[in-house]
Amino acid sequence: MAESLPINFNELCEIPAFRDLPAQQVQSLAAVMVRRHYAPGQFIFIEGEQADSLWFVFQGRVKIIKHSLNGRVQGLCLMNRGKCFGSCPLFEMEKNPATAQALDQVTLFVLPEEALQQLKGHDPHLVKALLHIYSQRLDHLARVSEVLGSWTVSDRINDCLLTYANREGPQSYVELTQEKLAALSGTVREVVTRHLGLLEKEGIVRNETGRIVILNADALLPPCSCEDHSTHA
Amino acid sequence: MLYAAGIAANSSGEHDMVSADLLSKYPFFAVLSPRTQRHIAERLVPAEYSPGVDLYQQGDPPTPLYMLRTGRVKLYRQSRDKCQILALPLPGDCLGAESLSTGAPSPYSATTLAPTSAVYLPPDVLQALLDELPDFQEAFLKLITNRLKQFVTLVHDLAFRDVTSRLAMILLARAESEGQPHEGGIVFDRLLSQQEFADMVGTAREVVYRTFKKFEDERLVNLTRTTILIRDLETLRAIALQEAR
Repeated sequence: MAESLPINFNELCEIPAFRDLPAQQVQSLAAVMVRRHYAPGQFIFIEGEQADSLWFVFQGRVKIIKHSLNGRVQGLCLMNRGKCFGSCPLFEMEKNPATAQALDQVTLFVLPEEALQQLKGHDPHLVKALLHIYSQRLDHLARVSEVLGSWTVSDRINDCLLTYANREGPQSYVELTQEKLAALSGTVREVVTRHLGLLEKEGIVRNETGRIVILNADALLPPCSCEDHSTHA
Repeated sequence: MLYAAGIAANSSGEHDMVSADLLSKYPFFAVLSPRTQRHIAERLVPAEYSPGVDLYQQGDPPTPLYMLRTGRVKLYRQSRDKCQILALPLPGDCLGAESLSTGAPSPYSATTLAPTSAVYLPPDVLQALLDELPDFQEAFLKLITNRLKQFVTLVHDLAFRDVTSRLAMILLARAESEGQPHEGGIVFDRLLSQQEFADMVGTAREVVYRTFKKFEDERLVNLTRTTILIRDLETLRAIALQEAR
Protein backbone atom coordinates (compact mmCIF):
# COMPACT_ATOMS: atom_id res chain seq x y z
CA MET A 1 0.00 0.00 0.00
CA ALA A 2 1.47 3.36 -1.00
CA GLU A 3 0.38 6.99 -0.73
CA SER A 4 -3.14 8.08 -0.02
CA LEU A 5 -4.18 10.92 -2.36
CA PRO A 6 -7.59 12.59 -2.42
CA ILE A 7 -10.13 11.30 -4.94
CA ASN A 8 -11.84 13.75 -7.26
CA PHE A 9 -15.49 13.89 -8.27
CA ASN A 10 -14.97 12.76 -11.88
CA GLU A 11 -12.94 9.74 -10.87
CA LEU A 12 -15.65 8.59 -8.49
CA CYS A 13 -18.35 8.99 -11.16
CA GLU A 14 -16.52 6.28 -13.15
CA ILE A 15 -17.60 3.68 -10.55
CA PRO A 16 -20.96 2.27 -11.81
CA ALA A 17 -22.52 2.01 -8.33
CA PHE A 18 -22.14 5.77 -7.87
CA ARG A 19 -23.19 6.89 -11.35
CA ASP A 20 -26.81 7.50 -10.43
CA LEU A 21 -26.10 9.27 -7.15
CA PRO A 22 -26.87 13.00 -6.92
CA ALA A 23 -23.73 15.14 -7.33
CA GLN A 24 -23.83 16.23 -3.72
CA GLN A 25 -23.63 12.62 -2.47
CA VAL A 26 -20.74 11.87 -4.81
CA GLN A 27 -18.95 14.95 -3.42
CA SER A 28 -19.43 13.79 0.17
CA LEU A 29 -18.22 10.31 -0.72
CA ALA A 30 -15.18 11.69 -2.52
CA ALA A 31 -14.33 13.64 0.61
CA VAL A 32 -14.25 10.58 2.87
CA MET A 33 -12.89 7.93 0.51
CA VAL A 34 -9.18 7.25 0.20
CA ARG A 35 -7.03 6.08 -2.67
CA ARG A 36 -4.66 3.17 -2.19
CA HIS A 37 -2.11 1.53 -4.46
CA TYR A 38 -1.03 -2.11 -4.39
CA ALA A 39 1.77 -3.93 -6.18
CA PRO A 40 1.15 -7.25 -8.01
CA GLY A 41 0.81 -10.08 -5.48
CA GLN A 42 0.26 -7.77 -2.54
CA PHE A 43 -2.56 -8.75 -0.16
CA ILE A 44 -5.31 -6.17 0.30
CA PHE A 45 -7.02 -8.06 3.10
CA ILE A 46 -6.93 -11.58 4.45
CA GLU A 47 -9.83 -13.94 5.08
CA GLY A 48 -10.82 -13.92 8.75
CA GLU A 49 -9.36 -10.47 9.46
CA GLN A 50 -11.54 -7.71 10.83
CA ALA A 51 -13.58 -6.24 7.95
CA ASP A 52 -13.51 -2.47 8.00
CA SER A 53 -14.04 -1.06 4.52
CA LEU A 54 -15.78 -1.29 1.19
CA TRP A 55 -13.36 -1.36 -1.75
CA PHE A 56 -13.79 -0.20 -5.35
CA VAL A 57 -11.38 -1.03 -8.18
CA PHE A 58 -10.25 2.06 -10.06
CA GLN A 59 -7.37 0.48 -11.94
CA GLY A 60 -5.98 -3.04 -12.29
CA ARG A 61 -7.44 -6.37 -11.24
CA VAL A 62 -7.99 -7.92 -7.82
CA LYS A 63 -8.18 -11.65 -7.21
CA ILE A 64 -10.67 -12.86 -4.59
CA ILE A 65 -9.64 -16.22 -3.14
CA LYS A 66 -10.54 -18.52 -0.29
CA HIS A 67 -8.14 -20.78 1.63
CA SER A 68 -9.11 -24.17 3.02
CA LEU A 69 -7.79 -25.30 6.42
CA ASN A 70 -5.36 -27.49 4.47
CA GLY A 71 -3.98 -24.49 2.65
CA ARG A 72 -5.62 -25.16 -0.70
CA VAL A 73 -6.55 -22.00 -2.58
CA GLN A 74 -9.86 -21.58 -4.40
CA GLY A 75 -10.19 -18.57 -6.65
CA LEU A 76 -13.65 -17.07 -6.57
CA CYS A 77 -13.36 -14.25 -9.06
CA LEU A 78 -11.37 -11.41 -10.52
CA MET A 79 -12.56 -7.89 -9.81
CA ASN A 80 -11.72 -5.39 -12.52
CA ARG A 81 -12.28 -1.67 -13.03
CA GLY A 82 -15.45 -0.31 -11.42
CA LYS A 83 -16.20 -3.44 -9.38
CA CYS A 84 -16.83 -3.35 -5.66
CA PHE A 85 -15.60 -5.97 -3.23
CA GLY A 86 -14.99 -6.45 0.45
CA SER A 87 -17.36 -7.89 2.94
CA CYS A 88 -20.29 -6.34 4.64
CA PRO A 89 -18.84 -4.58 7.67
CA LEU A 90 -22.06 -2.67 8.05
CA PHE A 91 -24.19 -5.69 8.66
CA GLU A 92 -22.71 -7.87 11.35
CA MET A 93 -20.27 -9.46 8.95
CA GLU A 94 -17.27 -8.58 11.02
CA LYS A 95 -14.69 -10.83 9.42
CA ASN A 96 -13.58 -10.80 5.81
CA PRO A 97 -15.13 -13.90 4.21
CA ALA A 98 -12.33 -14.20 1.64
CA THR A 99 -8.85 -12.90 0.78
CA ALA A 100 -8.20 -10.13 -1.74
CA GLN A 101 -4.88 -9.96 -3.59
CA ALA A 102 -3.68 -7.54 -6.26
CA LEU A 103 -3.11 -9.35 -9.55
CA ASP A 104 -1.33 -6.43 -11.22
CA GLN A 105 -0.69 -2.76 -10.33
CA VAL A 106 -3.91 -1.86 -8.58
CA THR A 107 -5.48 1.43 -7.52
CA LEU A 108 -8.42 1.17 -5.16
CA PHE A 109 -10.89 3.66 -3.74
CA VAL A 110 -11.66 2.74 -0.17
CA LEU A 111 -14.74 3.70 1.80
CA PRO A 112 -13.92 3.18 5.49
CA GLU A 113 -16.66 1.67 7.63
CA GLU A 114 -16.84 4.66 9.96
CA ALA A 115 -17.47 7.08 7.10
CA LEU A 116 -19.97 4.68 5.56
CA GLN A 117 -21.91 4.43 8.83
CA GLN A 118 -22.05 8.20 9.15
CA LEU A 119 -23.24 8.78 5.59
CA LYS A 120 -25.68 5.88 5.54
CA GLY A 121 -27.72 7.19 8.49
CA HIS A 122 -29.00 10.18 6.57
CA ASP A 123 -28.59 9.16 2.99
CA PRO A 124 -31.12 6.77 1.40
CA HIS A 125 -29.34 7.18 -1.96
CA LEU A 126 -26.29 5.52 -0.52
CA VAL A 127 -28.35 2.60 0.79
CA LYS A 128 -29.72 2.26 -2.74
CA ALA A 129 -26.20 2.16 -4.14
CA LEU A 130 -25.24 -0.52 -1.60
CA LEU A 131 -28.33 -2.53 -2.43
CA HIS A 132 -27.29 -2.45 -6.07
CA ILE A 133 -23.79 -3.67 -5.21
CA TYR A 134 -24.97 -6.46 -2.92
CA SER A 135 -27.57 -7.69 -5.41
CA GLN A 136 -24.81 -8.02 -7.98
CA ARG A 137 -22.69 -9.96 -5.49
CA LEU A 138 -25.63 -12.27 -4.74
CA ASP A 139 -26.05 -13.00 -8.42
CA HIS A 140 -22.33 -13.66 -8.71
CA LEU A 141 -22.18 -16.02 -5.72
CA ALA A 142 -25.21 -17.97 -6.94
CA ARG A 143 -23.33 -18.52 -10.22
CA VAL A 144 -20.12 -19.51 -8.43
CA SER A 145 -22.06 -22.04 -6.32
CA GLU A 146 -23.54 -23.56 -9.43
CA VAL A 147 -20.17 -23.71 -11.13
CA LEU A 148 -18.54 -25.39 -8.14
CA GLY A 149 -21.43 -27.74 -7.51
CA SER A 150 -22.45 -29.05 -10.87
CA TRP A 151 -19.75 -28.53 -13.44
CA THR A 152 -16.91 -30.87 -14.23
CA VAL A 153 -13.33 -29.65 -13.81
CA SER A 154 -13.06 -29.26 -17.61
CA ASP A 155 -16.22 -27.12 -17.58
CA ARG A 156 -14.70 -24.93 -14.85
CA ILE A 157 -11.41 -24.43 -16.69
CA ASN A 158 -13.25 -23.58 -19.92
CA ASP A 159 -15.46 -21.13 -18.07
CA CYS A 160 -12.40 -19.42 -16.55
CA LEU A 161 -10.77 -19.11 -19.98
CA LEU A 162 -13.85 -17.34 -21.32
CA THR A 163 -14.36 -15.22 -18.24
CA TYR A 164 -10.82 -13.89 -18.06
CA ALA A 165 -10.20 -13.52 -21.79
CA ASN A 166 -8.91 -10.18 -23.06
CA ARG A 167 -9.86 -9.18 -26.56
CA GLU A 168 -7.35 -7.67 -28.95
CA GLY A 169 -8.97 -7.11 -32.34
CA PRO A 170 -10.38 -10.42 -33.55
CA GLN A 171 -8.20 -12.40 -31.14
CA SER A 172 -8.96 -13.41 -27.55
CA TYR A 173 -6.27 -14.41 -25.09
CA VAL A 174 -5.92 -15.15 -21.40
CA GLU A 175 -2.95 -13.82 -19.47
CA LEU A 176 -2.97 -16.10 -16.46
CA THR A 177 -0.41 -18.67 -15.39
CA GLN A 178 -1.56 -22.28 -15.27
CA GLU A 179 -1.25 -22.08 -11.50
CA LYS A 180 -3.63 -19.11 -11.31
CA LEU A 181 -6.01 -20.78 -13.75
CA ALA A 182 -5.96 -23.87 -11.49
CA ALA A 183 -6.73 -21.77 -8.41
CA LEU A 184 -9.55 -19.96 -10.18
CA SER A 185 -11.13 -23.19 -11.43
CA GLY A 186 -10.72 -25.15 -8.19
CA THR A 187 -8.19 -27.73 -9.34
CA VAL A 188 -4.46 -28.38 -9.48
CA ARG A 189 -1.96 -27.20 -12.09
CA GLU A 190 -1.38 -30.68 -13.54
CA VAL A 191 -5.06 -31.00 -14.45
CA VAL A 192 -5.00 -27.58 -16.14
CA THR A 193 -1.85 -28.54 -18.10
CA ARG A 194 -3.46 -31.77 -19.29
CA HIS A 195 -6.73 -30.05 -20.21
CA LEU A 196 -4.99 -27.22 -22.11
CA GLY A 197 -2.99 -29.87 -23.99
CA LEU A 198 -6.24 -31.55 -25.08
CA LEU A 199 -7.79 -28.21 -26.09
CA GLU A 200 -4.69 -27.38 -28.16
CA LYS A 201 -4.85 -30.76 -29.89
CA GLU A 202 -8.46 -30.05 -30.83
CA GLY A 203 -7.50 -26.61 -32.19
CA ILE A 204 -9.55 -24.76 -29.57
CA VAL A 205 -6.64 -22.87 -27.95
CA ARG A 206 -2.95 -22.22 -28.62
CA ASN A 207 -0.62 -22.26 -25.64
CA GLU A 208 2.01 -19.52 -25.88
CA THR A 209 4.55 -18.37 -23.29
CA GLY A 210 2.67 -16.39 -20.63
CA ARG A 211 -0.67 -16.55 -22.40
CA ILE A 212 -3.33 -18.80 -23.88
CA VAL A 213 -4.81 -17.73 -27.21
CA ILE A 214 -8.44 -18.72 -27.72
CA LEU A 215 -9.05 -19.93 -31.28
CA ASN A 216 -12.61 -21.23 -30.90
CA ALA A 217 -14.53 -19.58 -28.06
CA ASP A 218 -17.78 -21.39 -28.87
CA ALA A 219 -16.17 -24.76 -28.19
CA LEU A 220 -15.36 -23.56 -24.67
CA LEU A 221 -18.91 -22.69 -23.75
CA PRO A 222 -19.72 -24.80 -20.70
CA PRO A 223 -23.24 -25.83 -19.62
CA CYS A 224 -25.43 -22.80 -18.95
CA SER A 225 -23.86 -21.15 -21.97
CA CYS A 226 -26.61 -18.53 -22.02
CA GLU A 227 -24.78 -16.67 -19.23
CA ASP A 228 -23.24 -13.31 -19.90
CA HIS A 229 -19.59 -13.78 -19.09
CA SER A 230 -18.96 -10.09 -18.67
CA THR A 231 -20.86 -10.22 -15.37
CA HIS A 232 -18.52 -12.79 -13.87
CA ALA A 233 -15.60 -10.49 -13.24
CA MET B 1 -47.60 -11.65 -14.26
CA LEU B 2 -44.69 -14.10 -14.35
CA TYR B 3 -44.59 -15.05 -10.71
CA ALA B 4 -47.00 -17.53 -9.10
CA ALA B 5 -49.76 -15.59 -7.38
CA GLY B 6 -50.94 -18.75 -5.60
CA ILE B 7 -54.45 -19.37 -4.42
CA ALA B 8 -56.07 -16.56 -2.47
CA ALA B 9 -56.27 -17.52 1.17
CA ASN B 10 -60.08 -17.44 1.40
CA SER B 11 -62.85 -18.88 -0.76
CA SER B 12 -64.25 -15.55 -1.98
CA GLY B 13 -61.08 -14.96 -3.96
CA GLU B 14 -60.35 -11.76 -2.08
CA HIS B 15 -57.45 -11.95 0.29
CA ASP B 16 -57.67 -11.38 4.02
CA MET B 17 -55.99 -8.37 5.55
CA VAL B 18 -52.65 -9.37 7.01
CA SER B 19 -52.14 -8.34 10.61
CA ALA B 20 -49.15 -6.09 11.33
CA ASP B 21 -48.25 -8.58 14.11
CA LEU B 22 -47.19 -11.03 11.42
CA LEU B 23 -44.13 -8.92 10.62
CA SER B 24 -42.84 -9.18 14.17
CA LYS B 25 -42.30 -12.92 13.46
CA TYR B 26 -39.74 -12.10 10.76
CA PRO B 27 -36.42 -11.16 12.39
CA PHE B 28 -35.56 -8.64 9.66
CA PHE B 29 -38.84 -6.77 9.97
CA ALA B 30 -39.40 -7.06 13.72
CA VAL B 31 -37.05 -4.08 14.22
CA LEU B 32 -39.16 -1.75 12.04
CA SER B 33 -41.29 0.96 13.61
CA PRO B 34 -44.95 0.01 14.26
CA ARG B 35 -45.97 2.58 11.66
CA THR B 36 -43.75 1.01 8.99
CA GLN B 37 -44.94 -2.47 9.94
CA ARG B 38 -48.59 -1.38 9.54
CA HIS B 39 -47.82 0.24 6.24
CA ILE B 40 -46.19 -2.92 4.87
CA ALA B 41 -48.86 -5.25 6.30
CA GLU B 42 -51.58 -3.35 4.43
CA ARG B 43 -49.93 -4.25 1.12
CA LEU B 44 -49.04 -7.90 1.85
CA VAL B 45 -50.85 -10.46 -0.27
CA PRO B 46 -51.47 -13.87 1.37
CA ALA B 47 -51.28 -16.99 -0.83
CA GLU B 48 -51.25 -20.78 -0.60
CA TYR B 49 -49.21 -23.05 -2.86
CA SER B 50 -49.26 -26.79 -3.54
CA PRO B 51 -45.96 -28.71 -3.62
CA GLY B 52 -44.02 -28.38 -6.87
CA VAL B 53 -45.17 -24.84 -7.73
CA ASP B 54 -42.54 -22.45 -9.13
CA LEU B 55 -42.77 -19.21 -7.17
CA TYR B 56 -40.36 -17.80 -9.74
CA GLN B 57 -37.75 -19.04 -12.18
CA GLN B 58 -34.11 -18.25 -12.84
CA GLY B 59 -34.05 -15.56 -15.53
CA ASP B 60 -37.41 -14.02 -14.58
CA PRO B 61 -37.60 -10.25 -14.21
CA PRO B 62 -37.46 -8.99 -10.59
CA THR B 63 -39.89 -11.04 -8.49
CA PRO B 64 -42.03 -10.30 -5.43
CA LEU B 65 -40.58 -10.55 -1.93
CA TYR B 66 -42.08 -13.66 -0.31
CA MET B 67 -42.26 -14.25 3.43
CA LEU B 68 -42.79 -17.92 4.28
CA ARG B 69 -45.42 -18.71 6.92
CA THR B 70 -45.52 -22.53 6.66
CA GLY B 71 -44.15 -25.14 4.27
CA ARG B 72 -40.80 -25.33 2.46
CA VAL B 73 -39.19 -23.96 -0.69
CA LYS B 74 -35.97 -24.81 -2.50
CA LEU B 75 -33.82 -22.14 -4.16
CA TYR B 76 -31.77 -23.55 -7.04
CA ARG B 77 -29.95 -22.90 -10.27
CA GLN B 78 -30.39 -25.19 -13.23
CA SER B 79 -28.43 -25.64 -16.43
CA ARG B 80 -29.10 -28.41 -18.93
CA ASP B 81 -29.85 -31.49 -16.82
CA LYS B 82 -27.82 -30.35 -13.80
CA CYS B 83 -29.22 -28.62 -10.78
CA GLN B 84 -27.60 -26.97 -7.76
CA ILE B 85 -29.80 -26.35 -4.73
CA LEU B 86 -28.58 -23.19 -3.02
CA ALA B 87 -30.81 -22.96 0.04
CA LEU B 88 -33.92 -24.35 1.75
CA PRO B 89 -35.60 -21.36 3.40
CA LEU B 90 -37.67 -22.12 6.52
CA PRO B 91 -40.94 -20.60 7.69
CA GLY B 92 -39.99 -17.15 9.00
CA ASP B 93 -37.48 -16.67 6.14
CA CYS B 94 -37.87 -14.34 3.18
CA LEU B 95 -36.99 -14.97 -0.45
CA GLY B 96 -37.37 -13.32 -3.84
CA ALA B 97 -36.77 -9.78 -5.08
CA GLU B 98 -33.03 -10.54 -5.29
CA SER B 99 -32.58 -8.49 -8.45
CA LEU B 100 -35.05 -5.69 -7.75
CA SER B 101 -32.28 -3.10 -7.33
CA THR B 102 -30.42 -4.04 -10.48
CA GLY B 103 -33.35 -4.94 -12.74
CA ALA B 104 -31.32 -8.00 -13.76
CA PRO B 105 -32.84 -11.46 -14.31
CA SER B 106 -33.48 -13.50 -11.15
CA PRO B 107 -30.30 -15.35 -10.22
CA TYR B 108 -32.12 -18.56 -9.27
CA SER B 109 -35.49 -20.37 -9.16
CA ALA B 110 -37.77 -21.00 -6.17
CA THR B 111 -40.08 -24.04 -6.06
CA THR B 112 -42.28 -25.29 -3.21
CA LEU B 113 -41.39 -28.71 -1.74
CA ALA B 114 -44.47 -29.01 0.48
CA PRO B 115 -47.85 -27.30 0.86
CA THR B 116 -46.74 -23.75 1.55
CA SER B 117 -48.40 -20.60 2.75
CA ALA B 118 -46.73 -17.23 2.32
CA VAL B 119 -47.40 -13.54 2.08
CA TYR B 120 -45.78 -11.48 -0.62
CA LEU B 121 -45.20 -7.94 -1.84
CA PRO B 122 -45.40 -7.61 -5.64
CA PRO B 123 -42.27 -5.97 -7.13
CA ASP B 124 -43.88 -2.60 -7.91
CA VAL B 125 -45.41 -2.38 -4.42
CA LEU B 126 -42.10 -3.43 -2.85
CA GLN B 127 -40.21 -0.77 -4.82
CA ALA B 128 -42.69 1.93 -3.78
CA LEU B 129 -42.42 0.90 -0.11
CA LEU B 130 -38.61 0.86 -0.27
CA ASP B 131 -38.61 4.38 -1.76
CA GLU B 132 -41.05 5.58 0.86
CA LEU B 133 -39.72 3.92 4.04
CA PRO B 134 -35.98 4.31 4.75
CA ASP B 135 -36.07 1.85 7.68
CA PHE B 136 -37.64 -0.78 5.41
CA GLN B 137 -34.94 -0.11 2.83
CA GLU B 138 -32.30 -0.80 5.44
CA ALA B 139 -34.06 -4.00 6.60
CA PHE B 140 -34.23 -5.15 2.98
CA LEU B 141 -30.51 -4.46 2.57
CA LYS B 142 -29.81 -6.62 5.63
CA LEU B 143 -31.94 -9.37 4.14
CA ILE B 144 -29.94 -9.37 0.90
CA THR B 145 -26.70 -9.24 2.91
CA ASN B 146 -27.80 -12.22 4.97
CA ARG B 147 -28.43 -14.28 1.84
CA LEU B 148 -25.01 -13.14 0.63
CA LYS B 149 -23.43 -14.50 3.81
CA GLN B 150 -25.18 -17.86 3.31
CA PHE B 151 -23.83 -18.06 -0.22
CA VAL B 152 -20.29 -17.24 0.92
CA THR B 153 -20.51 -20.25 3.26
CA LEU B 154 -21.98 -22.42 0.51
CA VAL B 155 -19.16 -21.47 -1.86
CA HIS B 156 -16.60 -22.36 0.81
CA ASP B 157 -18.26 -25.75 1.44
CA LEU B 158 -18.50 -26.59 -2.25
CA ALA B 159 -14.90 -25.60 -2.82
CA PHE B 160 -13.22 -27.27 0.12
CA ARG B 161 -15.35 -30.08 1.52
CA ASP B 162 -15.76 -33.47 -0.08
CA VAL B 163 -19.13 -35.13 -0.66
CA THR B 164 -19.17 -36.99 2.70
CA SER B 165 -18.39 -33.85 4.63
CA ARG B 166 -20.92 -31.76 2.68
CA LEU B 167 -23.73 -34.27 3.20
CA ALA B 168 -22.88 -34.39 6.92
CA MET B 169 -22.89 -30.58 6.99
CA ILE B 170 -26.36 -30.42 5.40
CA LEU B 171 -27.78 -33.01 7.83
CA LEU B 172 -26.19 -31.18 10.76
CA ALA B 173 -27.56 -27.79 9.71
CA ARG B 174 -31.05 -29.23 9.25
CA ALA B 175 -30.88 -31.08 12.60
CA GLU B 176 -30.00 -27.78 14.26
CA SER B 177 -32.72 -25.71 12.58
CA GLU B 178 -35.57 -28.22 12.22
CA GLY B 179 -34.78 -31.18 14.50
CA GLN B 180 -36.86 -32.49 17.42
CA PRO B 181 -35.53 -34.84 20.13
CA HIS B 182 -36.56 -38.42 19.36
CA GLU B 183 -35.39 -41.84 20.64
CA GLY B 184 -32.13 -40.45 21.98
CA GLY B 185 -31.40 -38.68 18.71
CA ILE B 186 -32.76 -35.81 16.64
CA VAL B 187 -35.42 -36.31 13.98
CA PHE B 188 -36.60 -34.07 11.13
CA ASP B 189 -38.70 -34.40 7.96
CA ARG B 190 -36.76 -35.91 5.11
CA LEU B 191 -38.29 -33.40 2.66
CA LEU B 192 -35.79 -34.10 -0.15
CA SER B 193 -35.48 -37.01 -2.55
CA GLN B 194 -32.08 -38.62 -2.97
CA GLN B 195 -31.70 -36.69 -6.24
CA GLU B 196 -32.40 -33.44 -4.38
CA PHE B 197 -29.82 -34.31 -1.72
CA ALA B 198 -27.40 -34.87 -4.60
CA ASP B 199 -28.38 -31.47 -6.04
CA MET B 200 -27.62 -29.85 -2.69
CA VAL B 201 -24.28 -31.62 -2.20
CA GLY B 202 -23.26 -31.10 -5.83
CA THR B 203 -22.80 -34.74 -6.81
CA ALA B 204 -24.56 -37.70 -8.44
CA ARG B 205 -27.52 -39.53 -6.87
CA GLU B 206 -25.55 -42.79 -6.66
CA VAL B 207 -22.84 -41.08 -4.60
CA VAL B 208 -25.42 -39.73 -2.15
CA TYR B 209 -27.02 -43.19 -1.93
CA ARG B 210 -23.65 -44.77 -1.08
CA THR B 211 -22.81 -42.05 1.46
CA PHE B 212 -26.16 -42.40 3.23
CA LYS B 213 -25.62 -46.17 3.29
CA LYS B 214 -22.21 -45.65 4.91
CA PHE B 215 -23.73 -43.29 7.52
CA GLU B 216 -26.41 -45.89 8.26
CA ASP B 217 -23.88 -48.73 8.54
CA GLU B 218 -21.89 -46.62 11.00
CA ARG B 219 -25.09 -45.99 12.99
CA LEU B 220 -24.86 -42.23 12.49
CA VAL B 221 -28.28 -41.78 10.87
CA ASN B 222 -31.50 -43.68 10.18
CA LEU B 223 -33.39 -42.93 7.00
CA THR B 224 -37.04 -43.65 6.37
CA ARG B 225 -39.17 -42.56 3.43
CA THR B 226 -40.34 -39.48 5.34
CA THR B 227 -37.88 -38.81 8.16
CA ILE B 228 -34.19 -38.65 9.01
CA LEU B 229 -33.04 -39.56 12.51
CA ILE B 230 -29.60 -38.34 13.55
CA ARG B 231 -28.28 -40.91 16.02
CA ASP B 232 -24.74 -39.66 16.57
CA LEU B 233 -24.59 -35.90 16.23
CA GLU B 234 -21.00 -35.53 17.46
CA THR B 235 -19.44 -37.96 14.97
CA LEU B 236 -21.49 -36.37 12.20
CA ARG B 237 -20.21 -32.96 13.31
CA ALA B 238 -16.59 -34.19 13.20
CA ILE B 239 -17.14 -35.48 9.64
CA ALA B 240 -18.86 -32.23 8.62
CA LEU B 241 -15.94 -30.11 9.79
CA GLN B 242 -13.31 -31.99 7.79
CA GLU B 243 -11.90 -30.03 4.92
CA ALA B 244 -10.64 -32.75 2.68
CA ARG B 245 -9.47 -30.67 -0.24
